[in-house]
Amino acid sequence: MRQELVHVVAGNAFAVSDAQGDMEIDPHAPVGLFSFDTRFISRWVLTVDGERLHALSRDDMTYFETRFFLVPGTASHYVDANVTVIRHRSIDDSFNERITVLNHSAEPADLLVRMEIGADFADTSEIRSPVPRLTTMSASSADGMLRLRYERERFAREAIVSTTAPGNVDEGGISFRITVPPRGQWITDLHVGMTIRGEAGRDLRSSLESHREQARHDMRAELGEWLGRAPHLVAERDILPTVYEGALTDLAALRYVPLTYPGRVPVGGMPWAMALYGRDAMVTCLQTLPFTPELTPTTLRLLALLQGGRLDDYHDEEPGKILCELRYGESAAFDDQPTAVYYGAADTSPLFVILLDEYERWSGDVELVRELCHPARMALDWIDGYGDLLGDGYLRYQRRNLRNGLVNQTWKNSPRAIVHRDGREPGFPRATCELQGYAYDAKIRGARLAREFWGDPAYADRLEQEAAALKERFNRDFWLPHREHYALALERDGTPVETLTSNLGHLLWSGIVPAERSAALAAHLLGPELFSGWGVRTMADGQLPYNPVGAHLGAVWPSDNSLVAAGLRRYHHDDEAARVAAGIFAVAERLGDSLPEVIAGYPRPVTKYPVRLPAAGRPQSWSAGALLMLLGTILGLRPCGENLLVKPALPEGFGWIELLDIPGRWGHSDAYGRDRSAAADGGHRGRLR
Amino acid sequence: MATSAVEQLEQLGPERRPELPEAIPGTLRLDMREENGRTEHWYLTVHDQRVDVTRSAADAELVIRADREVFDRIAGGRTHLAAALLRNELTVQGDMRLLTLLRRIFPGPAEARHPREVGRDRDVHR
Repeated sequence: MRQELVHVVAGNAFAVSDAQGDMEIDPHAPVGLFSFDTRFISRWVLTVDGERLHALSRDDMTYFETRFFLVPGTASHYVDANVTVIRHRSIDDSFNERITVLNHSAEPADLLVRMEIGADFADTSEIRSPVPRLTTMSASSADGMLRLRYERERFAREAIVSTTAPGNVDEGGISFRITVPPRGQWITDLHVGMTIRGEAGRDLRSSLESHREQARHDMRAELGEWLGRAPHLVAERDILPTVYEGALTDLAALRYVPLTYPGRVPVGGMPWAMALYGRDAMVTCLQTLPFTPELTPTTLRLLALLQGGRLDDYHDEEPGKILCELRYGESAAFDDQPTAVYYGAADTSPLFVILLDEYERWSGDVELVRELCHPARMALDWIDGYGDLLGDGYLRYQRRNLRNGLVNQTWKNSPRAIVHRDGREPGFPRATCELQGYAYDAKIRGARLAREFWGDPAYADRLEQEAAALKERFNRDFWLPHREHYALALERDGTPVETLTSNLGHLLWSGIVPAERSAALAAHLLGPELFSGWGVRTMADGQLPYNPVGAHLGAVWPSDNSLVAAGLRRYHHDDEAARVAAGIFAVAERLGDSLPEVIAGYPRPVTKYPVRLPAAGRPQSWSAGALLMLLGTILGLRPCGENLLVKPALPEGFGWIELLDIPGRWGHSDAYGRDRSAAADGGHRGRLR
Repeated sequence: MATSAVEQLEQLGPERRPELPEAIPGTLRLDMREENGRTEHWYLTVHDQRVDVTRSAADAELVIRADREVFDRIAGGRTHLAAALLRNELTVQGDMRLLTLLRRIFPGPAEARHPREVGRDRDVHR
């Protein structure tokens, strides 16, 4: 059994260690200190008199700060240890670790404390098999600095390790020969600065200590302010505010300032997606508009700047297309991966328009809608101009980068995610159903923006006509009367991929479904094949490709479920929406800590406990966002003109909930809700089931 | 087909370029380092979706420096601007937002295909 891994996070910088605080290369996990998609430290091992340390306990203070309490030696003989070691680490733009050695005895303790330090400068995309790199190390005992450096042509990355207490620096680490007085202590602060040459960054070597203290202080204050700006949740069930604050904290942890824009945007999440993903970022924004609306304008502006400008096969780029993924590592820089700016996503462009419109409805920020008119129109024009690959009115995808472009360019982006019920792979280009829903919604919303803010009623009329035609066409070609649901996708020749999936919920969310068909979809989504008890599976049981541990073949994603629940409420299936919300909240409560990206699709009565998948990281922006969106959905929060509408439909057992100071164009407003059983028996403290 | 950055700049007409954002006017200076060590300055003024090109070393809101060969690769679509920046072949000073304009001023890779060409090609299965 592998050891527990411990992380600290700040934006796209993070450090992952074992339970002792040590970092050693592990092909199965991204262990080490990472920033901007590069592993700056791959070895960070503390010894005392040549012995490794054993963890007694740990205090995970905040997402960016942890303390390890350790004693020398192994579990068999630590009990009479005279020495305790505390490692107190934090991360911001740099990495800091204060090492405190406590001597509990009445005698002075002569000890050799050593930190072994190494860097492989691996790119995050190659953690499973890091390529050996020629790195240079220079140790300077005079200024107590160890510099680890990697260069390839003009590309250079450097880690600079410094210490406040004098130590002997060599190319493999820093040693301290110390004498700790009786009942006394010894302290050093280690600091790792990470530089990217060419970037207009600050000088990390200047006044290290003051910078470090300042940063740590600021981060605590900033987290407090972030939580303070979000609405306040009061609930009969104590666990709900805890889960709520956890989700807000995850969102705070996963914001970073990109090189090209001076605002904070969400990264995907730990540990594999610590980068900007257009889809994840926009879905996170959509989920969090009533709670943390400040994420949205920065995200929209950045994505507008990075909007596709040219046809480029390797990057799957077209004019007007909104970004899929952005990375800064060596593989991106040298085009080993197309991720310097990759556009292999067919849903991001419509989502951009949907988010812009939804943001205006909540915020009333007309200025942003005018400022982003051009990119929004480019994104709308992209749908038909480039996204409609066959000219038949459907949004499709087929990669042009055959080397390492994404096969499936939708949220279910694993290579075999889009598949027939019998396991056959559909041909390309593929028109998945939710893409049509998004395209429809984007046109409807684009029409509103054009009419109300862009002064172009003719364009609005055209978009509305196109949306109506798409809805009619979609409901004719995708509907499977014998199954009473929509096809997952159409192949090139119109052959439907009849697989039953959670994508149906996205169709409800987008509004492309006629009212009379919604009940059939709701029945499928909450039926035993799709609903696990924790949430709606990505793919329904009873079909050949179904696999409860397959990420997109049967596992359950909180982010997916948040859109499904919103879709169910949109069509007034309030009980079904509440059941989905209750299931995902139950997962969050059972697992504690941060809600992971995905859990297994096993039936809840069988496992009784949500089963995490090994590859599923946490925290994840759109999982944290899912909890907020579900909360907004069960409270029925909706902007209507200048007012906030509240129409609660809480799951049974939720008791009463108050969400106070919801920001928006109305200033701040409150929402109250009470579940029906609580309302019926006068506030009985129900149990969540 | 592969023309140099200078040729591209010299050929830029005064016409409206609909792919340029309306809301981001600005000035860019391209500092092209020649092999002989000299630096050639090209000054681009972007306004109302038009680009005016002059030769000037005056201050600009964004200054982009690179070897002429790097500019040629970018102008010919052989290197993506974003990759060149990460590789540190190209350095920038000033308003980074304007960098995205350059991507839309130079043409992309000559061999790039329209998605519909790919969609029409029945032999391509991936």
